[in-house]
Amino acid sequence: MAEDLRLLHKDRILAVKDLPTLPNVLQEVSRLVEDPTSSTDQVAKVIAYDQVLSAKVLKMVNSPIYGFPGRIGSIQHALVLLGLNVIKGVIISTSVFDVMTSTMSGLWEHSLGCALACTEIAKVVGLEDPEEYSVPGLLHDLGKVVTAVQLPDVKQELDATVRQRDCTYREAESLVLGFTHETINGWLAQHWRLPLKIREGMSWHHAPTRAEHFPAAACVVHVADFLVKVYEYGSSGDDQVPALDPNALKLLKLGTQGLDTVMDSLADKFLEVADISFN
Amino acid sequence: MTDMLHPGLDAELPRCRHRGVVITADAALAAMLQALWPAQAVCWQVFERASQALEELYAEPPDLLLVDELLPDMPGLELAMALKSENVYRQMPVVLALGGPEALERENWSVTEVDELILRPFFPAEVKARLALTLARACRTLDANPLSKLPGNTSIIQRIQRLVEAKAEFGLAYVDLDNFKSFNDRYGFSRGDEALMMTARLLVNVVREQSSPSPAMHFVGHVGGDDFVFILPAAQMEAACQAVCSRFDAIVPSFYDEEDRRQGGIRSTDRQGNEQDFPFMSLSIAVVMNHNGKLTHAGEAASMAAALKKKAKAISGSIYVLDQRQH
Repeated sequence: MAEDLRLLHKDRILAVKDLPTLPNVLQEVSRLVEDPTSSTDQVAKVIAYDQVLSAKVLKMVNSPIYGFPGRIGSIQHALVLLGLNVIKGVIISTSVFDVMTSTMSGLWEHSLGCALACTEIAKVVGLEDPEEYSVPGLLHDLGKVVTAVQLPDVKQELDATVRQRDCTYREAESLVLGFTHETINGWLAQHWRLPLKIREGMSWHHAPTRAEHFPAAACVVHVADFLVKVYEYGSSGDDQVPALDPNALKLLKLGTQGLDTVMDSLADKFLEVADISFN
Repeated sequence: MTDMLHPGLDAELPRCRHRGVVITADAALAAMLQALWPAQAVCWQVFERASQALEELYAEPPDLLLVDELLPDMPGLELAMALKSENVYRQMPVVLALGGPEALERENWSVTEVDELILRPFFPAEVKARLALTLARACRTLDANPLSKLPGNTSIIQRIQRLVEAKAEFGLAYVDLDNFKSFNDRYGFSRGDEALMMTARLLVNVVREQSSPSPAMHFVGHVGGDDFVFILPAAQMEAACQAVCSRFDAIVPSFYDEEDRRQGGIRSTDRQGNEQDFPFMSLSIAVVMNHNGKLTHAGEAASMAAALKKKAKAISGSIYVLDQRQH
């Protein structure tokens, strides 16, 4: 019975056709792609602030029609390979949330914060190509967005459960759905043929050492998620700070001093993006 | 070909001649076809019976075959299907002329191997447009690279020849992938195809980003395997080459497995047990510039590029070499 319901939910979630985003970033990206003097790098930079546009672009470039599924994990590279024509098409066909904008803007901020934190952590612990860790950070709560769009009744029940029980959003997911957003992330990442590193970062950030191939990516997202909540930058659906898994720090060889460095540079990063508003 | 692609321009461009064969007992149809294009653009050979035409068709397949469904000796469709069942004649574009609208209901067109239909009563302008489309489509399909779908050799040579004759100030870039073979050996052909598709897409986008006064000077072709060609106005060539090289070098590591990616390439052991290191794939680009209309024919560009290529090969990482000689 529970299994049937899970499959039903999975089908609804993977059937997502038109994932909306928030109006502000969409406006800015639309303006850029209409401006003939814009470079792909400029457009990529703005798209990389928005979890939904980033997911759409990565889904597109990794679709079999382009011939290299699962290879492209960077927004910059995706734009170079798709070209501005295709990007324009994606932008034009993207709608915006007409309701829920206020609940979603917190989640957008939280995701952007997490993306920035991932890059900083990857830099401090000396991982190669640290920018590659920002995408799994940006997309780590995408499952929550897709649930809100595809299962709006469930979304209301989740919010109510968080309020009544004063629990985490994830605990509410377990209670209401029987599975959590990381499971949804895994379905989406696989369905859209996103690279394995992104998929594992998205689906194991709450149990980071269990990731099979890229535990470092999952650990980076895990620590980033924690830090962004400590900073109270944005909101991911509840006001609790989740537990920090000491094994994640151990795996990344991130000590107190390293954490301090990350927190300092993250404060600077947050200032840099202070003018970005999702409201 | 050009004249057929631009039916309105046929008087200006009689260079390429096309041979059409029409099999019909309807003298009016034959006469109408012959009046559509000047004889130096398309010349029609008319047969009244299928039996007269078959040997000619097999021996010298035309660029376009038009068959009337009503022939004195056999159904036209049967003749068309007989030709299409032979692999070597399959690409010959076949147009079927139907007696009237009622014939449309008779066949299952999803399993009928013809390329186009024309319907009585004929409107000459419509027939002309349909035949031109059929020829152009056949040419595209035949010439396109099956993997990248980019135009292939015939289109590449035609394009170069056209620009050479127009004495256009264009640059012609020959692109190939270094260390592609070791990549293929290590990961297999389908992974090699991924890298080729990425390269094709990269070239298409870089070329499209450059502004060009004439669409004829915007071109990407796939010679085959890991060889590509692109054309741009001479003045934009260097910027385009820089973009192609830097983007390729940034993206290509994603196409390697994590372990190889970390060590910066592929380490393999040959039959003698010697270890050999192959760095990441990179591009070599040799660019021939048609300054002052110095090129006289398409083949000349190819041989100049081959010589330049040797220079590019001597250096590692993606690299381009421009030929800047004025004459």
